[in-house]
Amino acid sequence: MKLKTVLGVTVAATLALPVAAQERGGTLNFARYDGSRLIDPIYADRNPDIWMVGSLFDTLLRGSADGNSVDPGLAESYTVSEDGKTVTLTLRDGVQFADGSRLSGEDVVFSLDRARNPDLSPWAGLLGSINSVSADGNAITITLNDPDPTILSMLATFNTAIVSKAAFDAAVGETDQDKSAAIFAVTAAGVGSGPFYLCGFEQGASMDFCANENYWRIGADGEPLPYLDSVHFEIVPDDATRILRLQAGEVDAAEFIPFSRVAELESDPNINMQLYPSTRIIYSPINTRESRADGSPNPLADARVRQALNYGTNKDALIGVVLHGAGQPMSSPLMAKATQYAADLSPLYSYDLEKAKSLIAEAGVEPGTQVTLTTLAGSADDATIFAALQQMWGELGIELVVEQVDGATRGAKNRSGEFDIHTYGWVNDVNDPSQVVGWLGYTPTAKAVGTGWENAEFNKLFEEAANEMDPEARKAKFARMQELYADASPLLFMYETPFAVAVGKSVEGYVQTPLGNNIFDEATVSR
Amino acid sequence: MSDATFPTDRPSLLRMALCKPGFMVGILIIGFSVLLAIFPGFFAPYDPNALDYLAVRQPPSWAHPFGTDLLGRDSLSRVIWAYQVNMQMAVFGTVFALVTGVVVGALVGYYRGIADLIFGRIVDAVITFPFLVLVIAVVAVLGPGLINMYIAISVVYWVYYARLMRAEVIAQMGNDYAAAGVVMGYSDRRIIFRHLLPNAITPVVVYWMTDMALVILLGSSLGYLGLGAQPPQAEWGVLIAEGRNFISTAWWLSLMPGIAIVLTGLGFSLLGDGLADLLRPRG
Amino acid sequence: MSSLSYIFKRLLLMIPTFFLVMVIIFMLVRLLPGDPAIAMAGDRASDADIQAIRERLGLTQPMLVQFWLFLSNTVQGDLGRSILMRTDVASVIADRLPITVFLAVYSVVLSLLIAGPLAFVAALNRGRWPDAVIRTVFQVGLSMPVFYIGLVLLTFLAAQLRLFPVGGYGDTFGERLYHLFLPSVTVALYTSAIIMRNLRSAIIEVLDAEYVQFARAKGLPPRLILGRHVLRNALISTVTLLGLSIGNLMSGTLVTETVFAVPGMGRLMLEAIFARDYPLIQGLTLTFALLVSLVFLMTDLFQSRLDPRMRLQ
Repeated sequence: MKLKTVLGVTVAATLALPVAAQERGGTLNFARYDGSRLIDPIYADRNPDIWMVGSLFDTLLRGSADGNSVDPGLAESYTVSEDGKTVTLTLRDGVQFADGSRLSGEDVVFSLDRARNPDLSPWAGLLGSINSVSADGNAITITLNDPDPTILSMLATFNTAIVSKAAFDAAVGETDQDKSAAIFAVTAAGVGSGPFYLCGFEQGASMDFCANENYWRIGADGEPLPYLDSVHFEIVPDDATRILRLQAGEVDAAEFIPFSRVAELESDPNINMQLYPSTRIIYSPINTRESRADGSPNPLADARVRQALNYGTNKDALIGVVLHGAGQPMSSPLMAKATQYAADLSPLYSYDLEKAKSLIAEAGVEPGTQVTLTTLAGSADDATIFAALQQMWGELGIELVVEQVDGATRGAKNRSGEFDIHTYGWVNDVNDPSQVVGWLGYTPTAKAVGTGWENAEFNKLFEEAANEMDPEARKAKFARMQELYADASPLLFMYETPFAVAVGKSVEGYVQTPLGNNIFDEATVSR
Repeated sequence: MSDATFPTDRPSLLRMALCKPGFMVGILIIGFSVLLAIFPGFFAPYDPNALDYLAVRQPPSWAHPFGTDLLGRDSLSRVIWAYQVNMQMAVFGTVFALVTGVVVGALVGYYRGIADLIFGRIVDAVITFPFLVLVIAVVAVLGPGLINMYIAISVVYWVYYARLMRAEVIAQMGNDYAAAGVVMGYSDRRIIFRHLLPNAITPVVVYWMTDMALVILLGSSLGYLGLGAQPPQAEWGVLIAEGRNFISTAWWLSLMPGIAIVLTGLGFSLLGDGLADLLRPRG
Repeated sequence: MSSLSYIFKRLLLMIPTFFLVMVIIFMLVRLLPGDPAIAMAGDRASDADIQAIRERLGLTQPMLVQFWLFLSNTVQGDLGRSILMRTDVASVIADRLPITVFLAVYSVVLSLLIAGPLAFVAALNRGRWPDAVIRTVFQVGLSMPVFYIGLVLLTFLAAQLRLFPVGGYGDTFGERLYHLFLPSVTVALYTSAIIMRNLRSAIIEVLDAEYVQFARAKGLPPRLILGRHVLRNALISTVTLLGLSIGNLMSGTLVTETVFAVPGMGRLMLEAIFARDYPLIQGLTLTFALLVSLVFLMTDLFQSRLDPRMRLQ
């Protein structure tokens, strides 16, 4: 029924356009900053992997365009029981994997059981509420241990994408990991039902997606998606070279354009400079422990000092020099604007030097107090952030010194608490605020992103929200958590940034979602 | 006796130097570079770290002859302050390797035996690695940064000096005066440090000059790759890396430090070539 | 000494060298800061996850045991599993090795093509302006960092003038020659400068030699003299020099691959270091060392064939 209406609307829309023919075929050449390693829904743990899962696989539900609800996916309908403990879904009829084999309830059970197996997937914790998954024909029943307000979002998340059980049964290998690696090594159709299948792969160099001719979603011309024949990815880690390749016409699109180049590319007549809204936030965890790792007293343990640093940071200037204007200050202390339940507390610590100075004085911080900013070696953005903060905080009598480390060391320091302040960033993987809030503020999971900050009320609210099925009540709990967090400021709240992708004029319809997913379903390229 | 092989003819040396334009140019370049490195504050028109958010990436003008960078800092001042870092590199990146190499090479060359055998294996093992691969690996162990870079270079480089020194010492041992020293009952230390070393060190010194040029190139490469000096410190490789994204729109950001590297490198190699010519044993 | 026994002795000497090489690689990698398990698990993993990974990687075992495992596995051709690439290190390297070797060989050929003719021109015009110009240009070339040469070529020849592709490395042999031209030139400039210098003085030395003067006096055409005497001597010293500068050449490819986004071993090495990929760093370093010593060996054999005196030393 639903399908028919969709069709009716699109046919009407196509007729209304002067050019009715849908551009089809061709290869889109896409320059990436980093390569995928293994695009298996349950093992994908780096963004370059996670963001490609949706091109090769389908989830039962799909995130809606605005990101605040879910639409039908492989399941054409779904219901949640009154007590919130049972989810029933009906599979769409006749969906096939890319090799033409049927996708059945058995595959769904296999995939979800695999996804929630903590021995296999790093993401199993997100599905901790699931008690069992069963299938009867096209009817899928998921029973939960406790009501879980995030379950529908989870069924639209990459890690619950459906893989072919037959493909795994047939694969060589002792363990699931081996089988997965074997399947992806042969780069054949058959493991997923997404719009594309992996048809070429050179580790760290290039990757090819070929159109799945059996894909179930229908395009604007009434034929199955995708429009493209294939997508060819090349890994070009160097920012400048990636842009040069686009400008030379060697590729049709280049992702992760440094913000300093955005204005220049916007004025290039052959290029569409796209800034896709994202859930990416850039912040700096502040060590809130009473003493530093070396045992000396920590001036940042005083919330007033952390507030002062936040007031003393001119975010607009920072956005100007680091992002060249392509960003906005954080308006919720815990998440990007695009996330559900994000409170709009803006201005969140807007620049106020006087207030910052008086808070510093109140806290009794000696002028010339040294604070170390740990940054990522080789990161131009971090170097700029340091240079700017050093000057801004100098006004407060804080002497900022820099310590440059590599990513692994920064991660280790975050774990052990051997830092004053360090740079960090986050993009949501799930279309729900619980993941990022659990990361930034909830102590039992990640020690409040390593800051050592702990608040009993916050933790209690977080736990309650995990089972709160009433959206309004849940929203209220998140609102209170954001209030508490903003006041304690265990972070230097900096800014959110869009995803900057430059595409050639010949490309239409490519999208990067707020979660970062690269969507080629409706992309076209005209030659 | 030993004086016979060491050039002492000072006036004619100087005259020869003046006759060699390449050598003179080398001396001038390096002399001026040293001045800039010691007194950057005197030559630089601005504070190299003063930000100006309102004047970023300004093209060259009278006020800013090399333009301004991404944060509105004066590029000329940053290139000049970088002299301090890069010239320091030429010294600290070589001097430890030089001293260790000379001492080890002299001892091994004099005593030979088992130490020489072991040394031979170490040399073989170290030269088996492409130089940059090994230095980068050591930098990775120690973490990026200038001091770690010096350690990394020294750890690898001393072998090259030692190898050269050893060969020279062995060659010198064949000379009469070394044999005479042994016959006259001089102590080993005296023979090595008073007789062999001064005679054998000439090619090492020449090599040192070219090596300083190499180390500046290497240091700036590491800076460029993000493993050497770290921004916001001004270093030529770092400055080029900062300007990398703007090579077609703000060319001055990467051109000026590039010229500084080439000039200094040229200076050192001219100096090295000139010295090699002057000190080459004649007759 | 026959050349067979020379080869044998030469190979025997490589055993202790390679044992030391293995020790150096092992120690370097163990000393890397940052826990590879943390690097592997990512920032969001729990402590238990990290401990599990540590055990799986064998990082909890004593150092000597780890070294023994490393040594025996390597000898059997098992370089372990790459953390970054999630597949066998040996197969990752096998993918990248041809590209780097292609780049290196291409650069050597280009350096000879650049340096050879110019060295002759410079030597025959010794002291006159062509000599001065050629020497100055190469002197400047020697003073430019590889990454800077690459950057300039990339921006102006490839991006602005569109004479060459900015990136990629092609599928067919012809495409590779085209795609890897700029990266190879970048590497070749340095090598050709060294070769040019050496070749020029070698030629001059021969030209000054008494027997050549004599031949000239006899009225032999200069081309014949050059062909007969100069080439042979020049060849020996050039090969020796090329062999010795293979380490430099490899270092050059490492930087060049990064600048030109060529997916070879050098770029992989940097990625592996930033990702703390122990097995991959070990494997790559070892492969680089093997490549270099192979070239040393070939140089030695070539020399001993052309110049029998070498064998006696």
